[in-house]
Amino acid sequence: MSKNQKPPVDPVVLLVLGIVFVAVAVGLAVFQANPNFNTATNSGVMGQLIVAFITGLTTGGLSCLAVQGGLLASSLAYQVERDYVGQVARGMGKKSKAGPPVRPNSALPIFLFLLAKLAAYTLLGALLGLAGSYLTLSPMTRAFLMIAIGIFMVGNALRMFNVHPIFRYFSIEPPKFITRYIRRTAKGTDTFTPLFLGALTVFIPCGVTQAMMATALGAGSIVIGAALMFAFTLGTSPVFFVVAYLTTELGARLEKFFMRFVAVVVLILGLVTFDGGLNLLGSPLSFQNLTRSLFPSNSGESTPAAQLPSAGEDVVLYVQNDGYFPQTVSAPAGKDFTLNLVTDKTYSCARDFVIPELNFYELLPDTGTVQVNIPAQEKGSTMFFTCSMGMYTGRIIFQ
Amino acid sequence: MIKRTYKVPDMTCTNCAMKLESLEDVLDGVKEISASYHKLEMVIEYDEAKLTNEQIIAAVKKKGYTAIAV
Repeated sequence: MSKNQKPPVDPVVLLVLGIVFVAVAVGLAVFQANPNFNTATNSGVMGQLIVAFITGLTTGGLSCLAVQGGLLASSLAYQVERDYVGQVARGMGKKSKAGPPVRPNSALPIFLFLLAKLAAYTLLGALLGLAGSYLTLSPMTRAFLMIAIGIFMVGNALRMFNVHPIFRYFSIEPPKFITRYIRRTAKGTDTFTPLFLGALTVFIPCGVTQAMMATALGAGSIVIGAALMFAFTLGTSPVFFVVAYLTTELGARLEKFFMRFVAVVVLILGLVTFDGGLNLLGSPLSFQNLTRSLFPSNSGESTPAAQLPSAGEDVVLYVQNDGYFPQTVSAPAGKDFTLNLVTDKTYSCARDFVIPELNFYELLPDTGTVQVNIPAQEKGSTMFFTCSMGMYTGRIIFQ
Repeated sequence: MIKRTYKVPDMTCTNCAMKLESLEDVLDGVKEISASYHKLEMVIEYDEAKLTNEQIIAAVKKKGYTAIAV
């Protein structure tokens, strides 16, 4: 490197990026390790909104950026290109290191883009809530939806890793008339373009957004649907803004780094979503069910509540904010029995209880007991149960 | 007017296709450019009297990609 050359990346910028990423990672870890976080309030709806916001803040922003980054880039393209055109005209090209870098003013268009996105998704949430008041997604439909979304996300991550050209089909190519219109619009005023393109993001939702849309649909209320999507989109905005701003400011130098980081996150989310779908199907092949079968000592089987109940004794399953206890329930084989689902100030999705094999699902009261009649099963068979998100799981073993 | 297809194997996202299509605004004599990330190709309709194959390849290179005439 010659004396006049600047280091490739400003260390201060790298430090800021590091702080942002660590904050995101910590937020993600805390949220996933402590599902009680969504019970910080006594209101179930408020809890859902907090979860939506944190989901957006921790994972949604990056996932959305991976899918919708193209539209944002388009909204910035004209401005950035105009700023760099001098360099190109002088034949310096993008690899030029001479002279100070041109710093495009990208904050305002990104802000407008995100503002329009927020408004558009809030409206979409209201429409989904309205639609949801007329139809309800069954756990089976939701399971297939989650599996499809999971496959889409994993494929997208593999595309970003450049694993094989075949994965390029996992990207959504907007219709030509839209891209043409976007480009022509981008040549217009600097205010209208980001606003318009931000609103267009509703047509290319990312996997996490689609999952949130399904939740808004399931809310079955215009107000809750709109509030959920507002909270989620608001949560995505800081990460979206910071990453998009810095990426634009730093040009292509960090683009590959960001793409790989996003790819890793999307890959993990895709696998988690896929696994959630398997749980909702009651598949023994899901990660949780498989590990529970392979390592039964870690699954709470040895707890007193997991012992086979005496004749006439009820089988009790405690539905708590952080899952089901015991996770493995023993039940008598060959005869019907009653499963008592006990909730006590339970506000997490665990109370949306599903037994896929029986096609049973019910939203339990936050405090109370619900009885479920389980028909006679063969000795040695296993019946899986889960929450409606495929997050919390357990099983009944018939002995 | 002539219509020519170029393979662009180093496109990595749909935005790359949009970037290539933006050459419409830069190159003189171009009627239409249609690029596809899924097909990894770009179809350009242009006036041979105003634009050459070499100029197109150079313009694509300036955008950061490699165009190979089919």
